[in-house]
Formats: sequence, structure tokens, C-alpha cells
Amino acid sequence: MIDIYTEKKDSKDWILQNDLYFNLNTSNEEMSEKEINLIRQVDEAKLTPDKHIETKYGLGTIRNLSSGCKTLLNIVKHPEKVVCVEECGPNVLKIIFAMDNIKIYMSRPSYAEIPNDMQIRFNDADIVTGGTGYQTWWSKEYERRETDDL
Amino acid sequence: MKGEKQMIYKNIAFKADPFSYDLTFDDRITLVGGDSATGKTVLYEMLEDLRLTDKYKAIKLFNYKSDNLLESMKQCKDKFIVMDNADILMDDAIRQFINFEFSNQYMLFLRNCDGLNVSDKSFKVLKFEQNRITLEEEL
Repeated sequence: MIDIYTEKKDSKDWILQNDLYFNLNTSNEEMSEKEINLIRQVDEAKLTPDKHIETKYGLGTIRNLSSGCKTLLNIVKHPEKVVCVEECGPNVLKIIFAMDNIKIYMSRPSYAEIPNDMQIRFNDADIVTGGTGYQTWWSKEYERRETDDL
Repeated sequence: MKGEKQMIYKNIAFKADPFSYDLTFDDRITLVGGDSATGKTVLYEMLEDLRLTDKYKAIKLFNYKSDNLLESMKQCKDKFIVMDNADILMDDAIRQFINFEFSNQYMLFLRNCDGLNVSDKSFKVLKFEQNRITLEEEL
């Protein structure tokens, strides 16, 4: 089950600025094999033993990872937190929506490939299934926002 | 001139060996979206240097590290404003400023176009081919 929250909240349990959070916290942590593979998959970057990254642009520090990749790593390393995914492109969203037991924040329906059997819970209430359920929920949400003049 | 769409730079081209950038703009507001990890922040960092040259001194840069974002933007006239991390930085006041401050041109690394006066020529993605980086229409 993926939990999606659509109303922004300032809380220590939420990560809204992924670059900042990653640079100050996550980047100092050890990377698992799975996380190293995600870095390779998303940024086509190789993590060196001394925590530098090699990309087609050259050698950099782990702070030079893309915002999408940092978001993904924040989700993987802090599954208890609600992580903002509004800066993620379709390539990262596809990976996120294949995960389970995560919490994300999005204020609008970003395009994403979603597995047909994925259970999604919106705002701790409505549970839908797959991409069709996701799109249907957002259609109703936009009708609600229009009615409420939001 | 107020009310007219002004282009500060129709094209930004420079070399950063082994890469060459050739960016063409077709609207006063350009939104750069597409996949993650296509080099948007790398470009932003290149522009931090490029703006120090005479030719490109109209470039003004903003990202999540910028202080007093709206107030700083309001100081900008006849500038080429570039904003990284725009999806988490933009609010209604900034969108309104962009829509109505016609003296500036804007390149925003942004996916959510809600509330912006954009055209179908505004939507671009970075394309990387044989070390040449261009802006292409987002399909």
C-alpha cells in the first residue's frame, strides 16, 4: 500500500525539501546495495568507495545527485516519513509507484506508470487500486476543488 | 515595453568541454520538465559561471538556497530569470509576478504549469546527444 497525502503539512515527519534534507542528513549514511543500484538506474551514476559519484558530467560528490534521485533515496531510507515527490520526473515516479509501504505528498496528479494491482490510500481515507483508480480519484478531487472554488 | 512579450535571449550557446550547450527559446516563459536526471541542475550550475560573462550578465539565478525569493525576484527588470527546484518554490505570488512582469524572460525547471500564462511553445525538455545539449519540445 502506498499512502498519498494531497494537503501540505509542516511537520518533522514530512520531507518537503528533498535536496536540503538529503544533503544535511541522508547523504552521510551508508548506502545499501539496493540504494547504489537506484543511483545507477536513475542518474546513471557510479558510487565510488569514498562516496563520490561518477557520471557522464565527471566526478562529483553525492550532493550532485539529481533531485529525483535524492527524493527516491529519502523515501527508501526514511519510509516512516511523508516525502514530497513533486520534483520527480516520470522515470522516478515509475520506481516510486512500484514500491510498497511508503508515504508520499503530491498536490496534483503527476503522470506515473502504476502497476494494476497497487493499492493506494489517499489522505488516510479513500483506497483505490492501480493507475485507473489513481486517475479516477484525481478526477473527483478536481471536481471537488472546482466546486469549492480552490 | 510593458505588455509586450520580451525575449532577453533567443538563444544561449556555450561550450564546457567536452559538452556544448545550444539552447533556443520560443516563448517568454520556458518550462523545462521531463525525466529526472536529465541535467537540469548541472545546467543551472553552468549558468552560475556563464552569468559572470558580459554577454550573459542578464541571467539571474534562483534555487532552494535563495533568500527572500519573491522580494529578490521583484528587483529583477530586463533579466533572464532561471529557477531550479521551482516545483517546491513557486507560490501564487511568484506565479503572478512572472505572469505580469513582462520585462523579464523566464526559464523554470518546473512541471506544474498551473496559474502560469504559458503557450505550447513553453514546454521543453533537455536533450543530450553526443555531448551536445539542446532544448526540445516536450511531447
